[in-house]
Amino acid sequence: MDEIRLDRLTKRFGELVAVDQANLTVGQGEVMCLLGPSGCGKTTMLRMIAGLEWATSGDIWIGGKRVNDLPARDRNVAMTFQFYALYPSLPVQDNLAYPLYAENLSKAEIAKRVAQVSEALDLKSILKRRPHQLSEGEKQRVAVGRSIVRDPTCFLFDEPLSRLDIQLRQTMRTQIKEVLTKLDKPTVIVTHDQIEALTMADRIAVMQLGKVEQIATPHDLFARPANLFVASFIGTPQMNLMPAGVADVGGPESDGSVSARFSLLGETISARVNNGVAALGSGAKVTLGIRPRSFEFANGSATDCLHASVDLIEPMGAEMLVHLIEQGVDMRCVVPSATHISVGDRVSVRCKSGQLHVFDNAGKLVG
Amino acid sequence: MSERREVRAIGQAGWGRTLGAGIVSLIYFFPVYFILMTAFKTRPDALAMPIKFFFSPTLANFYSVFWRADIQGGGVTNSGFSLYFFNSLFISGTSVTLALIIGTAAAYAFSRFPLRGNDTYLFIILTTRMLPPIIAIIPIFVLFRVFGLSGSYTGIIALYTAFNLPFSIWMVKSFFDDLDRDIEDAGRMDGSSEWSVFRKICLPQIYGGLAATFVFAVILTWNEFLFALMLTGTETRTVPVAIARTIGGQVGVDWGLMSAIETLFIIPVVVVTFLLQNQLLRGVTFGTIRK
Amino acid sequence: MATTVSSATALAQQGQPARNATGFMGWILSPERRGPLLVTPAIITLFVVNIFPLLWSFGLSFYEYKANRIAPPVFAGLANYRYVLTDPGIWERFGNTAVIVVGSVVLQLVVGFLLALLFAQEFPLRRYLLMLILSPMMLSLSAVGVFFKLFYDPTLGFISRFISLFTTDTFVILSTPARATIAVVVADAWMWSPFVMLLVLAGLVSVPKYLYEAAEIDRAGRWRRFRTITFPYIRSLLLLALLFRTIETFKIFDIVYLLTEGGPGSSTETVSVYVYRLAFQFFRTSQASALGYIMVFAVVVLTSLYLYAIQTRQSEA
Repeated sequence: MDEIRLDRLTKRFGELVAVDQANLTVGQGEVMCLLGPSGCGKTTMLRMIAGLEWATSGDIWIGGKRVNDLPARDRNVAMTFQFYALYPSLPVQDNLAYPLYAENLSKAEIAKRVAQVSEALDLKSILKRRPHQLSEGEKQRVAVGRSIVRDPTCFLFDEPLSRLDIQLRQTMRTQIKEVLTKLDKPTVIVTHDQIEALTMADRIAVMQLGKVEQIATPHDLFARPANLFVASFIGTPQMNLMPAGVADVGGPESDGSVSARFSLLGETISARVNNGVAALGSGAKVTLGIRPRSFEFANGSATDCLHASVDLIEPMGAEMLVHLIEQGVDMRCVVPSATHISVGDRVSVRCKSGQLHVFDNAGKLVG
Repeated sequence: MSERREVRAIGQAGWGRTLGAGIVSLIYFFPVYFILMTAFKTRPDALAMPIKFFFSPTLANFYSVFWRADIQGGGVTNSGFSLYFFNSLFISGTSVTLALIIGTAAAYAFSRFPLRGNDTYLFIILTTRMLPPIIAIIPIFVLFRVFGLSGSYTGIIALYTAFNLPFSIWMVKSFFDDLDRDIEDAGRMDGSSEWSVFRKICLPQIYGGLAATFVFAVILTWNEFLFALMLTGTETRTVPVAIARTIGGQVGVDWGLMSAIETLFIIPVVVVTFLLQNQLLRGVTFGTIRK
Repeated sequence: MATTVSSATALAQQGQPARNATGFMGWILSPERRGPLLVTPAIITLFVVNIFPLLWSFGLSFYEYKANRIAPPVFAGLANYRYVLTDPGIWERFGNTAVIVVGSVVLQLVVGFLLALLFAQEFPLRRYLLMLILSPMMLSLSAVGVFFKLFYDPTLGFISRFISLFTTDTFVILSTPARATIAVVVADAWMWSPFVMLLVLAGLVSVPKYLYEAAEIDRAGRWRRFRTITFPYIRSLLLLALLFRTIETFKIFDIVYLLTEGGPGSSTETVSVYVYRLAFQFFRTSQASALGYIMVFAVVVLTSLYLYAIQTRQSEA
């Protein structure tokens, strides 16, 4: 069992808690992304797995072995650094070969592996160059190459694509994902870019201020964010989060769901909810989350609608982003470009069925 | 099982290193310590062998620095050392400051507006330092006589300024070379004049380097002997010359007096170095490294 | 300490005037003239105070002139140079100088480098211990000369006494030719190793931490780490230290003169000391100039070699 396991991992720098009681498991061949804004502790967590920082408390297990007390060199992990950390005085081929010297391989074997990696990452033409003569993309590929040239227990990446331009990012994303799938080892990638995470990861751990807020597949993160932070962090354009109150709760229906009505922005809208929401009871303060693409325009007479004025329209190609405003509350919705509306119009919008998220007053998802 | 020993990241060492470094430092420092110690010793104590580490200290030597007993009976006369200390301070400080100002301007030019023969010019500037002082003495001595600069402040300050220029130019140029040009360009594009770009963007970044250059130059100028000997007069004499004249006429060396003079003399340099220590390391770092 | 783009914008917004464009000031401060303008004060100072006297004494070296005679200089062509170069004593003195320069510079590089390694990491009291190591540089040469003479004294100096613990009788240093040279070398190296240390330390400190981290992940051994990461960074600085210290040590005068006055005999007499003798003891002023210029030539050649080596290293880096 080749997995990485973090058990109540904590890191304190004096008074500052950088990582707070984190629990995480990465299975063999799984790509786990640590995602979050700056300062959330994701890089610290990665460095603790690597062995470049010591844990204050908690355990780190790699490949079934507890590695807390092992220095980085004894953990047999491979890491790609954010600034690549290529050795400036060595040409590319020596950079690639560097980790292999510790393995007591024959010169022929080393050369073979270097050749394999340069083939896989298209580095053949730059083998003799020095790092300062390479472009960002080339440097990145060499850094990745240096990681995969060996046979470590796991792969760690610190913001691998952050220094690349958009197009290069897309290419490298696919390339890296291919390589990782082939290598079939547990991998942890740190990033602040959710697109990166959503496309490359098998599972994502969303972090904020040292705490792991939610660990889920990209789909589940999107469809069922565990709290307000995750809900607002994942998804572009950002989810609309609006304070509301539970007006009343109906009785249970045949399929187990409950009908409830919410009051917000002067309207009352009803929706199907689960028992958790029902348990809140009427009068409870909640936050409703509706994604921009979950809105649909309705004509004025429809029920369960919110009414607002169109404030701004941003074309986005096949779709457009419409900013609505009502009673000082901003809402964003995304509709096909063909929709006929203009700024200043008064419109009615409705949340599509089943796409309403309800968060209690502590910020947690209930339904 | 989870709370752990304090372990440092790569780059941090603990008290073990302090012990090792401490031993090495003390051994290295010992001759200096001897000199300082001697300043507080009486004559017999000073020359005692094996070295007397424990003795009753006296301040008599320091007193003798400034007041010398009259040869003909009674009374003391001012030895003039207060004037000499002032001279050293004034002359070194002014010349190094001047050298830095002129040198920084030139360094900026060499760095930002390189001419075709840039390397040649820099090399020629460097060669002015290569001449043994002995050679330059005679013509300079004559020159000073001709222009009436002998024994004046202007003359010796001008000379020391010229001495410190090559070093200043080389060091400061390398600092400018290593700056990130993007920030300057951003400033230019936002409408700043060249002078503002220089003063508010370039200069602040190299304060550390300037400090380091200042300290090095001061150390060299402060202790300069030969030219000071030839070219300062009674009113402008610097301490190194005064030291030489003090031992010159005596029978045997008054070690206590020598030490006292040297101890006093070293204080400004120590103070400046200590204060600028952080700047020094940062400055030397920032300047002479290629990224 | 980083100056950011935003602060660049901020200072521009403080209403700095636009670039000078018109009139005399415009002409003087225009881009093409800026460079030369800034350099001019330096050039003038250097010329008047340094270069002119150099040229003057260069000219003098071709004349027959003694400073203590009233007689005006008489043109002598290359006579001075011929005399100086054929004097067997000259070559001996060049040899002495070479020995001292090589010995002292090598020692400075080694000791300075080791000291830098020692101080490369943060540890308690580092600031204060660093001051102790820097202190020798702050002493005046005359103090070092005079006191080291005492230290080397067979009966009164602690160095001689310390060594005599291991030898049969009193250990004489300054009166013995080979040992006197070593004594000079040690005193000079002791004084200037901290300079090398500072330069090397600057290099060590500037290596980006993440390179060492990558090496740790890559399981590189200490020697390999040093060879591939640390050394390239300090190589240019060592070269710089080598350059500066060699030039300075070549001119060495004060310490030698105060310690040994060139003795015993002339075994530690460096070229500088000999020039001094020629000029101020024997008053053979023009010959002194000639010899001095030969010295300059030697140093220029050496420096060119160093600079050439630096250039080629840089271009291949």
